[in-house]
Amino acid sequence: MRKRTSFLILALILALLLSACGGETGAGSGGTTGTGPSDTGPADTGFQGDPNNPVILHVLENDTAKAEGYLEALLTAFNEAYKDRGIQAVDANMDEFTDLATNGPYGYGPDVLYQANDQLMRYAEDRHILPIDVEKLDCYASTPEAAWDAFHMTLDGTQYTMGVPVNVQEPMLFYREDQMPSDWQTRWDRDGNGTADFFENWCDLYALSREIHDADPNKFGFMVSMNNLYLASPFMLSFGNYIFGEKDGVLDDTDIGFSKGQAVNGLWALRQFAEQMNEGCIDDTVTLNRYEKLADGSYFTAISTPDTYSLFLGNLTNRYKQDGLSEEEAAKKAVENLKMVELPGKMPLNGDLSQDSASIAEDGWTTTVVMGGVNGYGISSYTKYREACLEFVNFATSFDMIKLRADTLGIAPTRSDVAAQCGDTADIIFNSLSSGRIYLMPSIKAVNQIWVPCQTVMGDVAKDPFRVKQGEAAKYPGTAELQAALETIDRNIYDAIHTLAG
Amino acid sequence: MEHSLLFLTAVKSPSKRVRASAALMGLGQLMARQWVKGLAYLGALAAFIAYMAATGVRDIAGFFTLGTVEADPWLGTAGDDSIIMLLRGLLTFVLILGLVLLYRSNLRDILETERTGAYGERAPGFVLSMRSFLNNKFYVVALAIPVAGVLVFNVIPIVFMILISFTNYGGDIVPPKLVDWTGFESFRRVLSLSGIKETFFRILGWNLIWAVLSTAVNYFGGLALALLLNKKCVKFKRFWRMFPILAYAVPGFITLLAFKFLFSYGGPINHYITAAGHSAVGFLDIDAGMKARIIGIFVNAWISIPTSMLLATGILSNLNPNLYEAASIDGAGPWQQFRQITLPFVVFSTTPVLITNFIGNFNNFGIFYFLRGGLYMDGYFLASDTDLLINWLYNLSIDNNYYSIGAAVSLIIFLITSAVSLSVYVRSNAYRREDSFR
Repeated sequence: MRKRTSFLILALILALLLSACGGETGAGSGGTTGTGPSDTGPADTGFQGDPNNPVILHVLENDTAKAEGYLEALLTAFNEAYKDRGIQAVDANMDEFTDLATNGPYGYGPDVLYQANDQLMRYAEDRHILPIDVEKLDCYASTPEAAWDAFHMTLDGTQYTMGVPVNVQEPMLFYREDQMPSDWQTRWDRDGNGTADFFENWCDLYALSREIHDADPNKFGFMVSMNNLYLASPFMLSFGNYIFGEKDGVLDDTDIGFSKGQAVNGLWALRQFAEQMNEGCIDDTVTLNRYEKLADGSYFTAISTPDTYSLFLGNLTNRYKQDGLSEEEAAKKAVENLKMVELPGKMPLNGDLSQDSASIAEDGWTTTVVMGGVNGYGISSYTKYREACLEFVNFATSFDMIKLRADTLGIAPTRSDVAAQCGDTADIIFNSLSSGRIYLMPSIKAVNQIWVPCQTVMGDVAKDPFRVKQGEAAKYPGTAELQAALETIDRNIYDAIHTLAG
Repeated sequence: MEHSLLFLTAVKSPSKRVRASAALMGLGQLMARQWVKGLAYLGALAAFIAYMAATGVRDIAGFFTLGTVEADPWLGTAGDDSIIMLLRGLLTFVLILGLVLLYRSNLRDILETERTGAYGERAPGFVLSMRSFLNNKFYVVALAIPVAGVLVFNVIPIVFMILISFTNYGGDIVPPKLVDWTGFESFRRVLSLSGIKETFFRILGWNLIWAVLSTAVNYFGGLALALLLNKKCVKFKRFWRMFPILAYAVPGFITLLAFKFLFSYGGPINHYITAAGHSAVGFLDIDAGMKARIIGIFVNAWISIPTSMLLATGILSNLNPNLYEAASIDGAGPWQQFRQITLPFVVFSTTPVLITNFIGNFNNFGIFYFLRGGLYMDGYFLASDTDLLINWLYNLSIDNNYYSIGAAVSLIIFLITSAVSLSVYVRSNAYRREDSFR
């Protein structure tokens, strides 16, 4: 009863607060669509501080943004734009994963924080971050609903938006253009669309991998740490299964669905592909050596995230230098040859990768779903300057700032107008987000408990072909055993969340 | 008991001054014209009453309720913070205990004043009392600061942890939500919930084996190395001693990560195994079983043996070489000399260190966290077959935020290690023959 009353009061106060925020005129207020640099004026919350004694906002950004100089550029631009409004933003100078729940209630911690949706939304359930009236922000109309969904939270039947999306991440496939099979256009492009079939469906990637590995046992067509849920998510999320179910439109952490749908086919595909890899796929060996191995040609393709592009590029440049090219030539050749594409979009519905792709009917495929995350800004509930924080978030998610961020850090922005101007990769990721190919990490605290149970079972299943090669009995010879393994994942996650919760 | 007797003695005393001090701390001293002392006692009492009126009573009430008003960060409304209330209540109890001790000293002081007065002597003034106190009880003065330090930095945190284990703090119940007292519920869950109970005893069994084995390996490994490097026939002793010290100087977690890489599928060991035409070996993967346990003991020895070696080297330098000469003349061989002279001498000197090492190994979090973290095995509740209780405690509490469960497991670990350590120590020569053994 007390809870319900407090929410009624909360709703009333929020309505008053937010109507005050949006009441003033502002260049970008009212949910205007940001279409270009002229649109970057701040939405006005009516906040007016003392220019001679400005309020100080502590902004927590990630380490890459600091290292690459983006944060400094953002703060400088904001402070210049708001010097007459009495707001000054400074670096919070804290660890990028600082725990707001621990520090915030005691007066420490940032006013504004930039984190991934699963991190940020941990705070939402206990109200450590504030709900935001996002319709007043410049970026609102140009950001797809899927990105906003990452920051939605429903409490007592009311939906709140707890963060403002900035960019989206998903696992990508890296490869060397100069390692492409010389006959790919005649042998591996059956539909003649100019894109190799092994970048379009998993059966052909498997077939190519087998061909490469059979020809040279030290070479592999496709490598990933199979125990990594994020990177190997296509095998775990493409078959009608899910992480947490929904109940009345709200994520339900009692309904865990890794074993649901035809999930067992995905795990079978994972086991099958592990046969074409080496034992490094069982642990994090591939995650550590993929940059070097892709550069030296041992791996034709490997999965990684877009923010690791520079690591692949550096290794490839060094490789070309070792081959006798000058620094400049090596760098140029590396940029030309290092490619990053989305994972193959089609997975065989029955999980059997050894099939001839040409023999699979259109309804025999399922769309590849990968796990992704949306990074964004949140506002601490413990800030003394809520309106000023909103001004900062609005400024930081404006067209100019997101464009600068994308140019500086190579991120894939969630603003459609910026994505359209940022080139292929950003646009592709943006479209995947909009079309639902990216399964966003659930925005509830319980998501912390999914990793270890999945890691254990995925690594164990990936090891199975190697057990057989060593003359041991297979632990997962058929679907019944794989289904049991998936149910173990669900049970362990449930236990971790609920058994001790009382 | 002693305190009650003292109080009864004071209340029944024929002296008005004693009865006055029993009723009001410091009053009897004032009546005896001990102005500074009387005012100091009265001042302390007044300060205590002021503290209790200002916040103490509320803190004690808060200790029992752990809060009644939940904060709402969205509305900016302040509420009760259960954990802070628990801590403040605990501190108030410590202050009350301090006042009780002060009251006791007040009674003893006035009784002493009356005793000296009975012999017709003048009651000692403040300066004289202080001088007498410093002379007769200097150990109290000398130990006051260390004892206060132990109280603040050891006792209060331990009591706080014990108290947490009797609440439902953790999981969804974290500030701003209010915490409640739940009695022995956390212990009941650890020891009775299906899966948890079995895991607890399985891990406890391995934990005891691990602690005993790794302590023995580290201890005797260090001793063997020290004896070897003490041999006259070994050349360049300083040079050889440098290597274990280098291993010791590298931060532990760096060493552990290096060993993890060394034994991984992509590591150099598997590189040479596969290069020799064999299949890669999963030294630390889910099937590793005993291999992973042995690697853990080996890696722990790598990190810990240098410390044991340095310790043993120092102790051996105090051993009288004539003992060996005499033993040789008596016909004792090297093994007998080791058993009868070296070992008793070293063990006597290092028993407390040995116990500390045992506790350290029992609670050795880093080894398996870094080597083999991130596995939940069949038959274990959120743990693997190499996890120690401390690793499981981490999985349960920090990783999953179940602080009260974590505190309950901590308390159980504390009881086990205390019982083992104390029983070993009181049976050791280092304790029983402390003054005679030489």
